[in-house]
Amino acid sequence: MKLVRFMDDAYQGKASGRRLKTRQGDMIFSLEDLADQVGEKPSRAAVEEFVPEDNSQLDLLISADPGKKYRLLWGYLSSLAAERSAAPLVLPSRDYAGLELMRGTILLQEAGSHVGMRMKGGKILVQGKAGDYLGQEMEGGGIIAAGCRDYAFRNMQGGYGLVKGNAGKFVGLGNRGGRIVVLGSCGERAGWLMRSGSLYVRGDAGEYLGILMSGGRIRIRGTAAARAGWRKKGGVIMAGSFGPEAADDVLAMD
Amino acid sequence: MPDPRKKIQLLITSLEELRLHVGRKDLAVGKQRINAQLYFSLANACLRGRAVLLYGGMGANKTTLVNLLGSSFLSMDLDDVEDLMVTGHPEQTEEKIVGFLDPRQWTAAYAGSAQVLWTAWAQSRWKLINEINRFPSGKQNLFLEILQKRKISYAGQLCRPGDTCYFATMNPEFSATYSLDEALLDRISACVPAAQPDFLAGLLLTEREQDVRDLASMLPRFTPQEFSSLPENVAEKPLSSQVELAILCLLRDFTLCERAPSFDKTQLSAAKPSLGLCSGCHYHNNPEAICWQVDEGLSDRVRQDLRAFCRAIAYLLDRDADLLVLKAIAPYILWHRVTPLRSILERPPYFGAGKLAYVAELVEKSINRTMNERAEMNLIFSRAVDGELPVARAVEELSTFDDPIARLDFIPHLEQMR
Repeated sequence: MKLVRFMDDAYQGKASGRRLKTRQGDMIFSLEDLADQVGEKPSRAAVEEFVPEDNSQLDLLISADPGKKYRLLWGYLSSLAAERSAAPLVLPSRDYAGLELMRGTILLQEAGSHVGMRMKGGKILVQGKAGDYLGQEMEGGGIIAAGCRDYAFRNMQGGYGLVKGNAGKFVGLGNRGGRIVVLGSCGERAGWLMRSGSLYVRGDAGEYLGILMSGGRIRIRGTAAARAGWRKKGGVIMAGSFGPEAADDVLAMD
Repeated sequence: MPDPRKKIQLLITSLEELRLHVGRKDLAVGKQRINAQLYFSLANACLRGRAVLLYGGMGANKTTLVNLLGSSFLSMDLDDVEDLMVTGHPEQTEEKIVGFLDPRQWTAAYAGSAQVLWTAWAQSRWKLINEINRFPSGKQNLFLEILQKRKISYAGQLCRPGDTCYFATMNPEFSATYSLDEALLDRISACVPAAQPDFLAGLLLTEREQDVRDLASMLPRFTPQEFSSLPENVAEKPLSSQVELAILCLLRDFTLCERAPSFDKTQLSAAKPSLGLCSGCHYHNNPEAICWQVDEGLSDRVRQDLRAFCRAIAYLLDRDADLLVLKAIAPYILWHRVTPLRSILERPPYFGAGKLAYVAELVEKSINRTMNERAEMNLIFSRAVDGELPVARAVEELSTFDDPIARLDFIPHLEQMR
């Protein structure tokens, strides 16, 4: 028997030809599944490619505890969920929430470390205190937190950060843009290596404020501790008062 | 001779009326619902050289049902049929199961070849291996040789009972059971769950006042001619091209693997989908592809079993052996032979316990895909094989189909034809 006749007989002249769609409807039920596909340190684009279109499935993934192993994946998923959500998305306190967020709003009771890292748009509201590296490398959008620990807004390039209480050490380290407002006080070495952007502190600042800065503007309403502007090469530092050994060009605020 | 199918229908009715079998109708063939345990056992009685394994907890009527059917088909007393079965336990030996050397030949003046006293089980054409998983693994190997064969050898002598119906029963894993070897499982044609009676069935059983033995004598009896004619009657049921094609594609869907030697998953030993073989493969996690979802490929025995049971069930139901029959029976032929990925099987709705349902879903997926989506690529391949289409063009066209069968079966075959 000819093979063609066998096939014709089997299909009875009905030949449709949809191809196997390799990427559609992949079964991703857990962060482990997602990690199988994209690895544990993926790019946002890779995660976006595999993330379920079904919102309930995405919610299921976000509700899982990522532990240390899958926290980057969880961070991307939190951003994707916030971008899809019409209302502000309330999330548990975990590291990397809002990683590379582009739009939408995330609400956090407390925040872990690396919240809002590399975010490009949208808004993150932290009702409690945030951990280390808040808004690190952010390029756009805004973060409002009641307080934060060290290295907040490190290497910031754009957007804004508002800390309603006190900030830890090294606020705005290596900034190249963006605006930071601290309504409380900040620790030592705020504005370290700052090249552009602005830092406003309503309270006091620790020692070595604006150390090695080459651009941008720092304003301290209270007192800047010792050695403000130490070896600074450019930019402006203004303070209500400043301690001993401050750089010559540190200005007194009116 | 009248068609024995009518007697089979009478047997089914009698089993129900006498409250000897009251199982739930758990198998849907199109709109018709039947009891899988009963119909697979009957289908096996209509075939020869196949083995059906009834799997379930204690007291689920597995052994009794096979013996009752044996009593009816062989026209024997239930007691005599029960004497034919062998039951698994660690002290069973080949001598107790198959036969032993006649010791009298060494005491008498005898110069001929060795004489073997064959057991009733070995000589019977209705072989029940009761509690097969209570045989230790080494002793299970004995059945590798016996199952599906027409003769049994021992001490250089042959016993030729002829075409035989093989049945086996087993319980789930208990402390005194042993797991079954994959090679033995592959020789078992179909595995059917036997459930405990449900509420209404339990109520019906309370109406049974006579002993099973007395009731068994009231079942219809088959003549030897009728019993012998059953395989021929089944063989007369034609299989449509659709069913043949769906069976072929089903086997290839389970067996093909891009990373296995010769693209054949049955070649794998240490590397398996469950051990990370498929990580990074572009078929991995694609729900439309089946290859990554089960560890094992399927042997050609599966194809033979699918064809045989498709015909037999169609014969019993007096209907065409079509895709509906294939979809209904295929999960029972496959599920004991494959190990699905635990990460999927343990999730809802399977919860680690719904292996049969999961395999049924894979079967449905493969058959639907073959009938609805593979027509174009199958026709391209057919035309190229028949010389109606240039091979180079067929390869080019087939390369646009991201289907394992097109990529791993059709294109390599056509490239060899160039």
